[in-house]
Amino acid sequence: MTAWFVRRLGYFLPILLGVNLLTFALFFVVNSPDDMARRHLGERHVSPAAVSDWKRAHGYDRPAFLNPAQNGLAMVTDTLFFAGSSRLFSFNFGRSDGGRHIGWDIRQRIWPSLAIALPVLILELLIAVPLGLAVALLRGSAFDRGLTLLCVAAMAISSLFFIIAGQFLFARMLRLMPISGFAEGWDALRFLLLPVVVQVLAGLGARVRWNRTVFLEETSREYVRTARAKGLSEARVLFRHVLPNAALPLITTIVVTLPGLFLGSLITESFFAIPGLGSYTIDAIQNQDFAIVRTMVFLGSLLYILGLLLTDLAYAWADPRIRLGGN
Amino acid sequence: MLEISNLVLVAQTQGASTRVVDDLSLSLKRGQTTVLVGESGSGKSLTALAVVRLLPPAIRVATGSVRLEGRDLLHLSEREMNSVRGARIGFVFQEPQAALNPVMRIGHQIGEALTRHRGLRGRLLRERVLELLAAVGIPEPQRRFKDYPHQFSGGMKQRVMIAIALAAEPDFLIADEPTTALDVSTQAQILDLLQATQRARGMGMLFITHDLAVAHRMADSLVVMKEGSVVEHDSRDALFSAPVHAYTRHLFAVSPRLTPSALLTPSPVTGEPLLAVRDLNVHFPQRGARWWSRTRSFAAVTDANLEVHAGETVAVVGESGSGKTTLGRTLLRLQPAQSGRVAFLGRDLFALPPESLRRARRELQVVFQDPFASMNPRMTVQQIVEEGLVAQGLLREPGARAAHVGNLLEKVGLDPAWSSRFPHEFSGGQRQRISIARALAVAPRLIVCDEPTSALDVSVQAQILTLLKALQQEQGLAYLFITHNLGVVAQLAHRVLVMHQGRIVESGAAREVLFAPQQDYTRMLLAAVPSLP
Amino acid sequence: MPGLIPAFASVATEPMGLQLLPTDLLFLGALALAAVYGHSAAREPLARARWSRVLHSPGGGIACLVLSVYLAVAVLDSVRVERAEQAPLTVLDLVLTPLRTGMETTYSAPFATHAHARENLEHAPGLWVRDYPRLKFGGRHLALPEETARDLVRRIALGTALGFGVFVVLTLVINQLRGRSLRGAITQWWEPAWRWHWSALGVLCLGITIVGCLADGWHVLGTDKVGQDVLYLSLKSVRTGLVLAVLASLITLPIALVLGVLAGYRGGWVDDVIQYLYTTLSSIPGVLLIAAAALSLDLFLSREAGALHSLALRADLRLLALCAVLGLTGWTSLCRLLRAETMKLSTIEFVASARALGSPSAALLRRHLLPNLMPLVIITTVLDFSSLVLAEAVLTYIDIGVDPSTESWGNLINGARLELAREPVIWWSLASALGGMFGLVLAANVFADTVRDAFDPRLGPDAKGVQGRA
Repeated sequence: MTAWFVRRLGYFLPILLGVNLLTFALFFVVNSPDDMARRHLGERHVSPAAVSDWKRAHGYDRPAFLNPAQNGLAMVTDTLFFAGSSRLFSFNFGRSDGGRHIGWDIRQRIWPSLAIALPVLILELLIAVPLGLAVALLRGSAFDRGLTLLCVAAMAISSLFFIIAGQFLFARMLRLMPISGFAEGWDALRFLLLPVVVQVLAGLGARVRWNRTVFLEETSREYVRTARAKGLSEARVLFRHVLPNAALPLITTIVVTLPGLFLGSLITESFFAIPGLGSYTIDAIQNQDFAIVRTMVFLGSLLYILGLLLTDLAYAWADPRIRLGGN
Repeated sequence: MLEISNLVLVAQTQGASTRVVDDLSLSLKRGQTTVLVGESGSGKSLTALAVVRLLPPAIRVATGSVRLEGRDLLHLSEREMNSVRGARIGFVFQEPQAALNPVMRIGHQIGEALTRHRGLRGRLLRERVLELLAAVGIPEPQRRFKDYPHQFSGGMKQRVMIAIALAAEPDFLIADEPTTALDVSTQAQILDLLQATQRARGMGMLFITHDLAVAHRMADSLVVMKEGSVVEHDSRDALFSAPVHAYTRHLFAVSPRLTPSALLTPSPVTGEPLLAVRDLNVHFPQRGARWWSRTRSFAAVTDANLEVHAGETVAVVGESGSGKTTLGRTLLRLQPAQSGRVAFLGRDLFALPPESLRRARRELQVVFQDPFASMNPRMTVQQIVEEGLVAQGLLREPGARAAHVGNLLEKVGLDPAWSSRFPHEFSGGQRQRISIARALAVAPRLIVCDEPTSALDVSVQAQILTLLKALQQEQGLAYLFITHNLGVVAQLAHRVLVMHQGRIVESGAAREVLFAPQQDYTRMLLAAVPSLP
Repeated sequence: MPGLIPAFASVATEPMGLQLLPTDLLFLGALALAAVYGHSAAREPLARARWSRVLHSPGGGIACLVLSVYLAVAVLDSVRVERAEQAPLTVLDLVLTPLRTGMETTYSAPFATHAHARENLEHAPGLWVRDYPRLKFGGRHLALPEETARDLVRRIALGTALGFGVFVVLTLVINQLRGRSLRGAITQWWEPAWRWHWSALGVLCLGITIVGCLADGWHVLGTDKVGQDVLYLSLKSVRTGLVLAVLASLITLPIALVLGVLAGYRGGWVDDVIQYLYTTLSSIPGVLLIAAAALSLDLFLSREAGALHSLALRADLRLLALCAVLGLTGWTSLCRLLRAETMKLSTIEFVASARALGSPSAALLRRHLLPNLMPLVIITTVLDFSSLVLAEAVLTYIDIGVDPSTESWGNLINGARLELAREPVIWWSLASALGGMFGLVLAANVFADTVRDAFDPRLGPDAKGVQGRA
């Protein structure tokens, strides 16, 4: 068991490194230490001496990837890339371009993001799975056709529409909820209601449609025919036979997103002024704050890879064919 | 008693409706087995499904009735029908792998039927399930009760299916080709089981098969179907001793028999062998028992030795997993080998450089099993048959290839004008002919036939075998004929090799191996083959 | 519509030359490629059968019709005509001249005669009143605002009549092309198989002519903050969305195809490397990756291409950069699918037969693998199409989308988003942007669904029969 785990880690670690390398290279092109120095010292009238002084003072006078001046391991380690990466990997995120402590900010902002993402996931499951089952049960009926049409239409509507219309309808016209904002503690609930509802509605169309496809595909399988030949009712066939099998692909798609929940939805948080990690990232992009963007990219990939790992585990646990191996 | 009267089933496809079962009547008494025999498209499976009202969506009942003890099943509500399914009529399906729920323990799958119809729960339920498992011959029921379907072999899975069908003690059992997907030795065991169970419980059994020999073994009475209609209906002995209808007689004629009279005269083995295989070993990587285990190596072929001479047919016989297909693919260099030497026309096949290998391929060709998958659906027949010519750079003059393809099509019994058509416009048998034409195009000396007739109906199979024999006579072709069907071997092979778990356990002239076998395994295999009178 | 002729006339008297910006070239080139594929597909019976199935189904046919309209608008907007002393205009600009030139000062509601905001007006010499002024173009031809309703009705009636006329002409022309006599055409054009298609065509004709008649004198969708006609802006945005989707797909396709097929066919270390590549790329969160890449490209462009003085060229390059970014970051999902499909195809017997016949790898790839991979490629590309269109709006919102001077749905939404808070509400820009997107994406999705059903191997003519073997 541990051997497998170690093997998987050995597979994912190079990926993290690769991600890191890619983002470092991208950012280096755009935002070299020279650029950073110039930005901090003011745009014009900056002498090369002042630039190199600044770089030395802030530790940016080393080469990017390979330091030929050093010997042995130090050739690789005494570089900007290594220094930056080792900081990231040890979760020492440093300070943003604006001077704030990134790690602290992140820790604060995780909770609002989760406060939206978790209820959205749960609600989506609670609504989409029964609807998918209902459609599989009543396939071919008017209900099925109507719902499918609705889903296709809903999928074509931009998520921006749901947000803007939701804000307009519920907050402005009906004045049921505040348009945006956040508060601490339980008071936050009234600020979270609208974003959660909007996000659930926006994603529902695609999810129900996909669930329907999965359920319908399972109901056309042969073991369903055997179950019917036993004389079981259609409902029992659906719940005891189709659902457990359909759960396998469902699990795969849901578990992989679980770690990513922490990152929050960029657009929703921005529109509703929720101080979560999503709006944190968007603000950083708009302000071109590279320190934060780099950290968020690293975190994002880390969480995605964690999701992949968890999915492997979940699938192996859920599917007895994998859990217990072959004959 | 189960009575089907004037049943008409209609298939609805894009505007047109065709009768797939036309005016079928038969009756099934308790304690008796009626066998429905027919080739593909005869409507036998659909009849069975119609009885329990599990037809596929495109098929519906047009007219007719199915009466169980007087009650017309076709007019029952779904709820009432659910009380009939399982409790009064049990059903055994063809593919046990697909027919069992992969994520539910088999104990539960069997118990479900009991809970539904007999209301059993808890300890009583468990006892009854264990009894059933023992009754269908599954060893260690206590331990296997908790296992999942994938942990059983094909034969075992079919036993589980039978246990499910028998659970609620129905009066009637419908078995739709229950042994077609199984090896011949397993088939014999399952047929024994079904027969014993039926006799012990006094059930009526409706048994569907395409295999006349199996029908002979199982039937009290026989119904022969052709393209939806009943062609002949009689007791077993009467039918087999004096068949009336031309189609029945035709089926008898083309069903392969394991009799010495079917054997070919052995050809004299002269000169150097075309193909000489020495100590061939082929391994596969295979996943370990637990999902986290490392991959292991699985020995598909171990220490294989064989020779094929010009003009002779060497049959390689074995059950699934015996390694015969791997052997064929390795010889065609479609699969790497770990060790061994294969000499083809005197040269080491594995050591050939790419250009020489390409030319050597001219002499060594293949015909595969699946007539659907062995042709690119987007290529015309012309393009398919001439593919070898194009690859080898032969017959470059304009029009030469087209002429050659036309000749080949004629030779395999097809109209040369069809060369502009596409594969989907042809039947399975015709597609196999095209495959043969494709193999012949480059004028090979040895053709590896990998189960070329296993996916075909019996009458079509007979035609293809006749064609192969004729081509051999005419051109001196050699065949390496891979199959699991011993009856086919009898009429086609000069020499026979028997493979079991990767090893060749017996080899020799067909007459010796088939009628005076030396090894136990061969004997067991031959004994398991159902025979026609 | 009547204003069209003077517009053309004015341009016709000036020296003309055609100009194509980089994205124009690539866009029209991509369409040409698609046409080539269509031609080759028409010759191969299997593909032809599938595509005709797509077009025959009501959903597929109507979606095709709608998509063609969008495509036509985009193509018209991609060819530029040079004028002396002035910025070039696209053909669409020329067609929509009345809408383009009929500008107001600021916001106005659809079919309004007055502006949306008050101004200081001089009613009489010395008498200043703060009131809503009459529009410069919208409803200008009416003496009294109260006549609006009657005028609208008149225009709609005219449009309807024109629409019917156009529809009848089209019907006759199409039937003539299909080889039917005049009488046969008239009696048969209501056949059930094509009923939905003809109805859709009719609705489209009516819609276009009615809107055309109305737009001649009114701002059908109002005006935006600087007084530009919103209908004009929406129509111009069509090109941006389509160019983005098409060009990004154009870049994604070769990368995903080459890498996916290579990984699936060769296996071994090549497979491992490619798997590593796409896992790494796909583990970076989508928006972040696009943002990072777009920012990098932006800064790069502004440093290198700062010397470009043509604003249009600058904006165009930025659009091109965005397409490149989306294309270079979006190939992973298609690559993954192609790899799996290639691996599956490699084990099918007709590939094994080809190898046994001595076919070299190149021939295997060309004749056997690639043609059978096409259905997957088509389905995935069309599916990704709509998500690309939707992505543009979101990306523009976070300032990494298109240049603000480029007309796009994202820019429309962005500019109008905050105006919802005004009193009275300004909703028309948002509605038209979201509606325009909805139409395109819905048509693309329905089209994708029909394509998927038509290309499903189990339903095709090469599928096994009802009973298969037994």
